[in-house]
Amino acid sequence: MSHYLFVQSQDTFTETRAAGQYQLAGQLREAGHDVTLVLVQNGVTPARRHAQCRHFDQLLQQGVHVIADDFSLRQREIDSSELKDSVAVGTVEAVIDAMLAGHKVIWN
Amino acid sequence: MNHSHSKDSHSKESKTLTFAFMDPPFESERTVTFFRLLDTALEKGANVRIFAYEGAVALAFARQQPHGNSVHGRDSNAENHPLTRDWIAALQQKAVARELGFEWINCGLCVDERGVNEVIAGCGRGGPPDLWRYASEAFNTLTIGTR
Repeated sequence: MSHYLFVQSQDTFTETRAAGQYQLAGQLREAGHDVTLVLVQNGVTPARRHAQCRHFDQLLQQGVHVIADDFSLRQREIDSSELKDSVAVGTVEAVIDAMLAGHKVIWN
Repeated sequence: MNHSHSKDSHSKESKTLTFAFMDPPFESERTVTFFRLLDTALEKGANVRIFAYEGAVALAFARQQPHGNSVHGRDSNAENHPLTRDWIAALQQKAVARELGFEWINCGLCVDERGVNEVIAGCGRGGPPDLWRYASEAFNTLTIGTR
């Protein structure tokens, strides 16, 4: 099992490629790897409770760890209470921790 | 090739992380996230190496100048416009204080295209072989694409 962390700056509302990025993360999870998404910048928008994004929601069901960057949320006035269940709030520390742990870290 | 080292201040026990970045200053939120990652890496005790290419070679340009905002009635001091060269200098100082390495190399080809040859102290000029070297020697590497 490998550990993957995607720094997800893109979202499906503004970048058509984001759906494919989510799918890759889900496929890695389905293959048995540990997968984390750290949502930064506009990447946090699908994490809002009422945002309709099928590909993103599927990641939560697949057991992908999803962390929304607190700084990005505050910039957009999104409170943690407004996020979908299973979305944690964190910081970019998670990215550095993953790099220092030797995980495969990829920027989307 | 002329590039800057701070090997004397390297912590030999700390891991080294390499970052490759290509966004210019003032154009994208990615630049802010990039600098947050560099700061966090130092906070976590890592040595940091940056290979800046394409537009990112302007991040360390020594002749960046702040400006006021006449529409909002603010002079330069009041506007307090952030400059990326100051952010880099602050990270350099943090690295020194923590006895960590912080190296910044601009791709010379990209510098020549843009004419941003004057960089702040501690930043140097190199080329793709330096990116290969930085990535090869690093414990881990993150490449941040422009989109």
